[in-house]
Amino acid sequence: MINCFEARQEFRAFWRRELPAERRAALVSHLAGCSKCDRSFRNFALGAPVLHSVGEPPQRAVAESQSARDARARRSGGVVRGEFVPRRGLAMSAAAMVLLAASLAAYFSVTTPVDTLNDELSVDPIVSQIPSSDLYPSSEDLAG
Amino acid sequence: MLGLASSRKTAWRLAVRTDEELIAEILNGEAAAFSELAARHRPRVERLCHRFFSDPEIARDLVQECFIRAYTALATYRREMPFGGWLRAIATNLCYDELRRRRRRPEELVADFTAPEVQWMNLVNEATPEEIVAAADERREAHDLAHCLLDSLRAEDRTVLILKDSEELNVREIAEIMGWSEAKVKIRAFRARQALRKQAERMRAAAGKRERWS
Repeated sequence: MINCFEARQEFRAFWRRELPAERRAALVSHLAGCSKCDRSFRNFALGAPVLHSVGEPPQRAVAESQSARDARARRSGGVVRGEFVPRRGLAMSAAAMVLLAASLAAYFSVTTPVDTLNDELSVDPIVSQIPSSDLYPSSEDLAG
Repeated sequence: MLGLASSRKTAWRLAVRTDEELIAEILNGEAAAFSELAARHRPRVERLCHRFFSDPEIARDLVQECFIRAYTALATYRREMPFGGWLRAIATNLCYDELRRRRRRPEELVADFTAPEVQWMNLVNEATPEEIVAAADERREAHDLAHCLLDSLRAEDRTVLILKDSEELNVREIAEIMGWSEAKVKIRAFRARQALRKQAERMRAAAGKRERWS
């Protein structure tokens, strides 16, 4: 039986198939019974093809990785073979800003109801003849 | 019989010159000897650059740049350290500078996966350890995804992980190559492993979520 520390020390050799059968079996048995080490191994396995591989990267991987990377860059934005692809987040932020600016412009361009009323009163021929002091109570009237 | 063996040994010695002999020749003006020296060390330098960059074009350019720098700075090479180690230091610093130049935000990198990448992650989530190891060699997406995972790390973290795990260098050697203190190398290695674990968890969780939704 091996402990967790020993098990994690063996990951690399296990990945490279350098472990003797006995230690390999002990590691597999430990991983089957220890959820923490099992999770740790699965995390290790995601980076191991680059970090712990001994040979060259698979030939097709090298050839196709460019197109996979281009596709990823096209989805998330970046530079694809010298061609700039806008980032999705950046494009969405820009769209939101344009929408906000348009909304504000629309809001301020619309005449408010109070202004409309004042405009109508000032244009009215009868109302325009009445002095404004008669239209609105003075401070003295209010105090009285 | 003994004479024949001796002459063969001499012929072999003449045919296979040491790095130091080749360097001496280059410094004496025989530039052609550099191609032999480069051919000898090229596979290791290529492998190192491929660990940093999945893009073969970038890796090829860096390998080329590494040998150009080595050639121009050959007079400064000191014999105390192996020539391979000196080249590795040049290549590592070139790759590190390139990584910093191409720095990307981590959150962008764990966003989208191709269908084969999700399949690989599901296999990593569900298969037995032996099945995972057996499948990794055949799956090119495993390699791509590992690069994607490493892309999410800071340039310092990625460099330390590659030097420590792939090149199997110790803390002192890494500190010498990078010009950092040993304490910094230890801290970076610790943080790099933490970041890698965190990103791997995120990736596996994202794959699981995608599987549930599909």
